[in-house]
Amino acid sequence: MSQPYVLQLAAQRTQWLSARDSLIAANIANANTPGFQATDLQPFSAALDNAQVSMVSTNPAHMTPGGDGFAEARVVEAESPETTLSGNSVDVENEMMKIGDVNREYTLATNIKRVIHQMMMSALK
Amino acid sequence: MVDPLQSTLRIAGSGLEAQSVRLRIISENIANAESTGDTPGADPYVRQTISFDNVLDRSINAPLVRVRTIGRDDAPFKIEHDPGNPAADSGGFVKLPNVDVLTELADMREANRTYEANLQVAKQSAELLGMTVSLLKDA
Repeated sequence: MSQPYVLQLAAQRTQWLSARDSLIAANIANANTPGFQATDLQPFSAALDNAQVSMVSTNPAHMTPGGDGFAEARVVEAESPETTLSGNSVDVENEMMKIGDVNREYTLATNIKRVIHQMMMSALK
Repeated sequence: MVDPLQSTLRIAGSGLEAQSVRLRIISENIANAESTGDTPGADPYVRQTISFDNVLDRSINAPLVRVRTIGRDDAPFKIEHDPGNPAADSGGFVKLPNVDVLTELADMREANRTYEANLQVAKQSAELLGMTVSLLKDA
């Protein structure tokens, strides 16, 4: 049985959020490294748009394109107000804001997972 | 592949380590701001500088930070006329370290701030991991 669509979407969302979280962590850790370029993940919607729509296989010999329909989000350069003399483009305040965003969105996604799960359990019990 | 949240903890850890080395260097500079040489006319304590570098950790595919070099500041020493000082040369001049306490304090503030930011990241990713684990609680 395939997963409910919402559950699958929430899982992809947490995947994307944790990948973004580790990029933000790398930016903050390298806040004083000369020549370090801050990076960010392309938006979740863009990553979803890149995902392939899987074709229905009417014959067992049909080949399906790989992946679960969710393409890995691409890493892009973070927009930064300024680059310091040493070539570092990390803006710590901005990164802390992004950390807060990730935290909030992750809470939302896990709570959605929990609610969907409870819903399914209520049908079972 | 390692879970990105686990690697976040590793990255923040490397940041904390780098900033604490920086704080150590700053405290050494401040502690020795008045350390003159032992013999008359000898050179005093030389200010230390620190520089960071990012290295790609292939096991988690993320740029960790590490201390690249702990160098010496080439700035000229301060010279003071103090004939009574044991380190004074024949003309009565003493070489004092090229440490400016104000610069060190400003640097300390910055190191402190970056340390706190890294700590916040580590706390937050631990919280996110906890959130996922707690999904199992009411299953």
